[in-house]
Amino acid sequence: MRVIIVGCSRVGAMVAKVLVADGHQVTVVDINRSSFNRLGPDFPGEMVLGNGIDEDVLRKAGIEQAEGFASLTNGDNRNIMAAQIAREIFHVPRVITRIYDPIRENVYRELGLDTTSPTLTGVREIHRMLKG
Amino acid sequence: MYVIVIGGGKVGYYLSKHLIERGYEVTLIEKDPRRAEVLTSQLGEVVMVGDGDEMAFLATTGMERADVVVAVTGDDEDNLIACQMAKRKFDVPRTVARVNNPSNVRIFKTLGVDVALSATEVLLDLLERELAKEPAKRAPTSQPNPKR
Repeated sequence: MRVIIVGCSRVGAMVAKVLVADGHQVTVVDINRSSFNRLGPDFPGEMVLGNGIDEDVLRKAGIEQAEGFASLTNGDNRNIMAAQIAREIFHVPRVITRIYDPIRENVYRELGLDTTSPTLTGVREIHRMLKG
Repeated sequence: MYVIVIGGGKVGYYLSKHLIERGYEVTLIEKDPRRAEVLTSQLGEVVMVGDGDEMAFLATTGMERADVVVAVTGDDEDNLIACQMAKRKFDVPRTVARVNNPSNVRIFKTLGVDVALSATEVLLDLLERELAKEPAKRAPTSQPNPKR
């Protein structure tokens, strides 16, 4: 599968490495070159320097051929906008977006985005662990 | 007519100022408390400090009775999400967004923003129209610059 990951955050970089290990073709987009260091020196995928909510940058990253897309920057709004561009403009079949704010996550999940909220999963996990 | 302006930069400030002068009811939302203080000293008690994308905060602005929401921060993603939340969560009939990247005008419209305006695009169009009027008049010359 050809996958684009926007945001070479800790999560973004690890997801990229896991996917590459599974044999997928991965392109990572980030606005800071230094973020690509998280991928390590031997990352076999592609790296594109640029803004993940700029359609020209996404085209350069190969979004027109992508089957999977994940927006994993540290900004909720950036992630939501990138995911909507992938879905509504480029019709990427599988689009995932990370949203920290649970309320915003709820809004956009209702609107049909595939979302994940580390805040909610963290809260659930900690709650479960504290209860013992 | 109730207008909510999101983003208290230069655009948001002058927009709010002129809307108030024309008699509209205005709320100006600004994230940065220090900037908000300056805005309040100029515009009075129409300024609210908060995040234009936080649902809990937006609920306190009376957004559900707003006729228009105008998002004019310097970040396209924030303007888009503010307009979408206004429309979908508060049933605001009309949303207007400032767009920095001209390519985003089309994207914003596809994603449900009623009016998306890019100053860059407007300037580009005007410039092209002006330049089309008179074909390149000035060939490079060796004449001295009269201003010098």
